[in-house]
Amino acid sequence: MSRKIILVAALGILFVMFFLSMEEMEDLFKNDAKLYFFEHGLDDTGSSNLITAILLDYRLFDSLFEAGILLVAVSGVIWISRHDFEERNAHFMLDKYKTPELFVTLSRFVFPLLLMLGFFIILNGHLTPGGGFQGGAVVATAILLLYYINLERKTDISLIVAVVKFAYLGIVLTASISLITRGEIFTNFMAVDAPTMSKYIYIIALDILIGINVALCLWAIFTAFLKEGR
Amino acid sequence: MNPVLTFIVVLIGLYGLATSKNIIKSVFCVTIIESGVILLFLNFANYEGGAIPIVSEDVAAIVDPLPHALMITTIVIGSAVTALALIICIKVFHHYGSTEWAQILRREDVK
Repeated sequence: MSRKIILVAALGILFVMFFLSMEEMEDLFKNDAKLYFFEHGLDDTGSSNLITAILLDYRLFDSLFEAGILLVAVSGVIWISRHDFEERNAHFMLDKYKTPELFVTLSRFVFPLLLMLGFFIILNGHLTPGGGFQGGAVVATAILLLYYINLERKTDISLIVAVVKFAYLGIVLTASISLITRGEIFTNFMAVDAPTMSKYIYIIALDILIGINVALCLWAIFTAFLKEGR
Repeated sequence: MNPVLTFIVVLIGLYGLATSKNIIKSVFCVTIIESGVILLFLNFANYEGGAIPIVSEDVAAIVDPLPHALMITTIVIGSAVTALALIICIKVFHHYGSTEWAQILRREDVK
C-alpha cells in the first residue's frame, strides 16, 4: 500500500513539473515556421498535402530510417519465431467453428473495397490526407482478412521478406536519383524549375514503394504471430 | 482539448507500467504512453482557426505540419516495438509457461 502512495506522489511531482513547463511548450509549434511550409511547400515539392511534403522531401532521411526500422523489426520477429518443426496456422485464433459465418461472408464483401481504399490512400498521398504508411496499413488489413476467408492459407514469409528488401532498396535508389539530376541527395529528382504539376511523379513513386514496404512488413509480422500460437 | 489531459494519459500509462503484474499488460502500458505523447504533440500544433495542412484555394491559415509528420514516425516505430515485445512475450510464455512477472522471476534458472 505504501508503495502505491509513493508511486502516486512521484507521478504527482511529474505532473506539477509538466504543468509548470507547459506555458513555454505551448508556443513551440505556433511560430511563423509554418508560414514557410504554407508558402513554399507546394512549389518546392509538388505536394498539396504538406505532411507528405515533409515526410518525402524535407525530412526524407527520417522516413528512410522509419521504413528501415520496420524492416529490422520484421527481421527480428521472424528470427525470434523461427521453428524447426512444420509450421501451420494457429487454430485458437482462426477456428472454423468459432468464427461466425456472417463474419466470413462479410470479409469476402469488404476485402476488395478495403484493398481499393488502401490503393486510393497510397496514390492520393499528395492531395488528400494519407500516404504510403497509412495506405500500406489499410492494404495490410485487407490482406489479413484473407486468413478469415481461407483458414488453411499458407504464406511464405521468406518470399515476403525478399520482396520487402527489394522495395526498401527501391526507396533508397529513388531517393538517390536526385544526386545525379539535382546534385543533392535525398530530395525530389525533378529539376528545381520544373512545373509543379510534374513534380508529384516523385511523390507518387515513393508513396507506392513505401506502401508496398509497409503492407508486406505488417503482413509478415501477422503471419509470424499466427504461426507462433500452437 | 487541453494538453494537461494528454499528460494525464501519459501518467496513467506510467502508473500501469509500475503496477501491472502481467507482461502483456506492461506492453499495453507502453502503447498508452505512446498515444499520450502523440496526443500531446498534436495538441501543441492545434490552434483556433487553423485548417488541416493541405494547400488549396480557400485555406487561409494552417496548423504546423511538422509535428504531424513526426507523429507518423512515432506510430510506425511504436508498432514495430510493440510487435517485437509481443513476440518475445509469446516466447517467454512457451518457455516458462506463464506471462506473470512474479512467476517468471520466482524460478530458479532465471537468477
